[in-house]
Amino acid sequence: MAKMGYSCHNTDPNSDPNNQEGPIRCIFFCEFHPTAGPIISCQEPEQYISKELFDSISVYIITKAELQRSTITVTLSDYKILGFPVRIDDKKYPRNAYHFNLCLVCDSNVRTVHYEPVVMKLSDYLMATEIESSFLSDGGAATKLAPILKQVIQELNTKGECALTEGPTATHLKVVHIRSDPSPVADHQVPVFIKQLPNQQWDLTTQQVAPYIDGFNHVARIALLSDVENNLVKACVQNLVYYGVVALVPLFQYGNVYCTTPLLKALAHDVNLQNKCLKYVAVSQRQLPNFRDVFRMFAAMTRGTTIRDLCLRFNPSNLRVNERKLVQFGVLEGLIRRVHKYPILLSESADLQKSLSGAANLDEICCATGVTAQQLEDQLERDHNVVLLWK
Amino acid sequence: MEVNPLSIILVKSDSKGDRLLFRYPFYFLEKSEPANTKRRNPYTLPNLEDLLQSPTQPLSNINKGHLTGFTDEVLSSLFAVKSELCNKKFELKVNDVRFVGHPTLLQLRNKQQDASGLMLINVVFALQALASHSVVTCYHDLSKRIGIALRYEEKRCGYISEQTQTMTTAHDDGFVNNPDAAFQIILNKCTLASNIKKMYDDLCTSGIVNVQINKWITVSFCLPQKVHQWHLRGKIVEPKDIDRCLKALRPYHSLLLLHPMQQMGDFTNLDGSPSLERMLKQYSPIKNLQTLAADADLTLNHVFELTAHLVYWAKATVIFPICLTNKYVISPDAPIHLNSPLIDKFSESFPASNLIRVISDFALPTSLGQKCNPLCHPAQQSHLVQTIIWMLQHHLLLQLHTYIQYIPTDHGLAASRERDLRHRSLQRSVVLSSSYQPSASEHSRAESESGASTVSETPELRSELDLLNRSINLESVSFTSMEDEKQDYQEELLLDFPDEERGNIFKIPATNTPEDLRLFATLCRKGYFHGDHHIEEIMYLENLRRSQLLQLLDKFRDVLITYETEDPAIAMFSYS
Repeated sequence: MAKMGYSCHNTDPNSDPNNQEGPIRCIFFCEFHPTAGPIISCQEPEQYISKELFDSISVYIITKAELQRSTITVTLSDYKILGFPVRIDDKKYPRNAYHFNLCLVCDSNVRTVHYEPVVMKLSDYLMATEIESSFLSDGGAATKLAPILKQVIQELNTKGECALTEGPTATHLKVVHIRSDPSPVADHQVPVFIKQLPNQQWDLTTQQVAPYIDGFNHVARIALLSDVENNLVKACVQNLVYYGVVALVPLFQYGNVYCTTPLLKALAHDVNLQNKCLKYVAVSQRQLPNFRDVFRMFAAMTRGTTIRDLCLRFNPSNLRVNERKLVQFGVLEGLIRRVHKYPILLSESADLQKSLSGAANLDEICCATGVTAQQLEDQLERDHNVVLLWK
Repeated sequence: MEVNPLSIILVKSDSKGDRLLFRYPFYFLEKSEPANTKRRNPYTLPNLEDLLQSPTQPLSNINKGHLTGFTDEVLSSLFAVKSELCNKKFELKVNDVRFVGHPTLLQLRNKQQDASGLMLINVVFALQALASHSVVTCYHDLSKRIGIALRYEEKRCGYISEQTQTMTTAHDDGFVNNPDAAFQIILNKCTLASNIKKMYDDLCTSGIVNVQINKWITVSFCLPQKVHQWHLRGKIVEPKDIDRCLKALRPYHSLLLLHPMQQMGDFTNLDGSPSLERMLKQYSPIKNLQTLAADADLTLNHVFELTAHLVYWAKATVIFPICLTNKYVISPDAPIHLNSPLIDKFSESFPASNLIRVISDFALPTSLGQKCNPLCHPAQQSHLVQTIIWMLQHHLLLQLHTYIQYIPTDHGLAASRERDLRHRSLQRSVVLSSSYQPSASEHSRAESESGASTVSETPELRSELDLLNRSINLESVSFTSMEDEKQDYQEELLLDFPDEERGNIFKIPATNTPEDLRLFATLCRKGYFHGDHHIEEIMYLENLRRSQLLQLLDKFRDVLITYETEDPAIAMFSYS
C-alpha cells in the first residue's frame, strides 16, 4: 500500500536565506601556546582565517575557565565561527594545562546549530587521542592533523557523515538536521504516504501499522485493523511525520466541506503540478481526466458546499475523477482547506457545555463519542441553543 | 516567549580596563544562591582518569527565563570587544543563549582627543538562542540606536563620563558586602540604569520601547514580533510579512485602526509627524486610502508610508473598505469558544448582543447587503457595521474575494501560451505598478466603490457612453455584409490568441456581441484572468461596474472559472 506514488516538494517553510543550512567553509585547530598565546596551528583550507581576524576574536575561542565545554558561536560580518573550547589539566604541560579548540567556519548567514554535536564529538575525540598518546602536544600536530581535517571537511560537506578510523581510537561523525517537532496526532486524522517508505528494518509497530496506511483509514481505525494499541499507532505515525514520510489529512466524508485557498492559482500556472494532479486524481491511469474539469471541481469548493453536493453536480466518475483522491491532493498541496464545524451550546447545561464549548470540532466530538457525523449533526440542527460555527 | 530578552547588560571598556557596569534583572541570581551552596571540597584531588566521563557543565544557561551561569567578569570580558569589532554588529552564542549588541566607541568629553580618551560602550541583549534571525536583527538595531544616543549625549554634556563614574564608584564601594546591592544603588542613582530597566520591562510587556536618554533624546523602538501579540496572540509577525503586505497595498485598500481614536493621541504626541495627525483626523474605515489621501490633502504615496508605519507599530491593519457587497466568513483560527475573553469584551461594546450569535451569521459567506434589507432601520444598519468593524479589528472575520482563472481548453492554456506566461506576468507587474498613479476618474470611481459614500453617477454614465460610442463607431466603420463583418472583427479582436483557444472561444454564443467580445479580449490581454486580480480590483483598475463584469463572467463561464478565497496580500493579519 506504500506505493501511493505521491511526492510533494518538501519546501522548507523558512525560505528565508538566513535560516538555510550551508556548507562548512573552513575547519581549524587552535591551541594556547605557552609563549605565543592563542594560535591557529592547523587550518584547512590554509589561510582562510587571517591572523589579524583571529587575534580580534581569540577571546571567544581560547576562553576563560567558566566557558570551557560550552558551544560558542561568534557571528562576524563574513563568517560564523563555531567552537567548543576544552582544557586538559596535567602536570606535564608547561602551564599545567593544555587548552585547545577545534572550530568550524561557515558563511555568516546560515544556520550552524546542527554542527554543534559534530564539534563536540570531534573535540572529545581529539581529547582522547591527546590523553592517550600526546597526539596534539608533542610537536608536529599540524602535519598529523591536516589530513584528518581535510577528510572531515570534505566528507561532512558531501556525505554529511565522516568516519575517523586512523589513530588510536575511532569515531564517527554525522550531521543531524534539526527538524521541528511534529504536532501530536489525533484519533480522527488520516495518515497518507507522501514518499515511499524507505526500505529498511523498521520497528515492529511500524511494520505492523504501515500496511494499513492507505490514505483513507483514520488513526483509530488503523489501530483497530492492525491490532496495535492506539497510543502506539499515534507514536508511530508521529515518527513517520517527523521523517516526512507521512502527512496528515482530515478524515474524508461526503458531508465534508472544503474551501479554496489562494494557492489554487498555482495549479493553473504550474504545468508540472497539473500533470501530477491529473495522475493523482485519475480513476484509471490509462485515461486521465480533463484539467478544466478538475480545476472546476476545485473552484466549486466553497463554504456550504459538501462533497456530496459536488458529486451530484459534477458526477466525477463520468469525468474520470476520483473525488477522494481529488480532495486528498488538494489538501496535501494546500490548494483547498477543510472547513470544520464547531458547535457551541448557548444554554446553561454544564456537562454539555464542556464538549460543545466551541473548542472542539465535529470530527473530534464524533471520534471521542463514537457517534456518526450524520447523527450528531441532525441532533444539533434540531437544538436551537446550539450554534454551528464554520471556520 | 522566545522574543523576550533574558537580560540587558551594560559593559564599558576604556584605558582602565573592562567592566560590567549594570545588568537587569539582577535580583534573580541572589535568590537562586541557596541552590548553589553545595561547594566543592577544596581538598579533593582532581581525578584525571575520569576526565572523559566527568560531568559536563550544564549546557543550558537559562533558568526560568533568566540568564544564569556567567559571572560578571566573564560577561564583561566577552562584551568588551577588540577595536576591530567596534561599531559593528556583535553576535555571540554561548550554549543556548544568544548575545547581541552594537559596541560603540565614543570620545570622552573631558579627556584628550586620542586613543586614551576613547571608551567602548556595549549594551548587550541576552536572548534565547531559538530567537529567529529577524528578532536578533531588531535587537541589534535597538542597541545601535542607544549607542548613537549615548555617543551624542557624551559629546553634548559628558553624560557617559558621569554615569560610568557613578556606577564604578558604586561597585567599588559595595563590592565588599554584596555586588547585587551595588546594582540596586546604581538603579536608584543612575538614569541610564533606570532607562535600561524600563527598556527591559517594556520589551517584556508590550514590545514598544520609549525611553528618554538623559531626559533629552527619545529612543523609541518597536519589536514587531512582540508588539503584534496583543491583537494576534500566538502568531509571530515578522517584519518581512509586514513588508510583503505593504508592497501589496493598493489605493482601494483601507486603513482600520485597532485602537479607539482617543488612544492614538499618545502615539502622535510631541514630535509625531503632522501629516499623520492630519490623516487620522480624516480617518474612517469606510474610506479607501485614495479618498483618505484626497481628504487629508496628502499624496497617495505618503498615505501609503503612514499606513505602513501604523501597521508596523501594530496600531492599524489593512482591510478592503467596508461596503455592501463585501462577503465575510469566520476566519479559520478565530479563538471563539465559551470561555473566550472576547465574548465579554464584545458585550461591553455592544451590551445587547452576543458575539457567538452575531458571528454565527457569517458561518456561510455573507455580505452586508444580504444582512440588511431595504426596510432595515438606519440605526440597525450602523449597528451592524459597527459590529463588523469590531470583529475585523479582532481578526475574527475574513473577507472573501472572487478570483477568475482563464482556462480556454480542456488541458489548460494552449501549449504556446505556457511558454510566454512567465514573460507576461513580468509585464503585468509593470502595468500594475504604473497603474498606481491616481487619476481623477479613478478617484471618483473608487469613492463610489467604497459603497458608503453616496454613489457618484458620473463615471458610470461616462463609461456607458464610452462603450456606446465605441460600438457605434465600430458599426459605422463597415456596413457591408453582416456575416463577413462579424468574422472580420472576431478575427481582428482575437488575433493574438493561439488558434486552439480562439476556436474554443468562438463556440461561446456571446462572442456574437461585439461589446462583450471586445471587453473579454481586452481584459484577457491585460492578464486579469490569471487569478492575480479579484473582481473589485478589476473594477477599480478598468473602471467597470460590478454588474458588467458579472455578466461577462457568466457569458464566458465556459472558459472563465471563478473561485472565492481571501486576498493573500492582507490576509496575513488574520489567524491562519
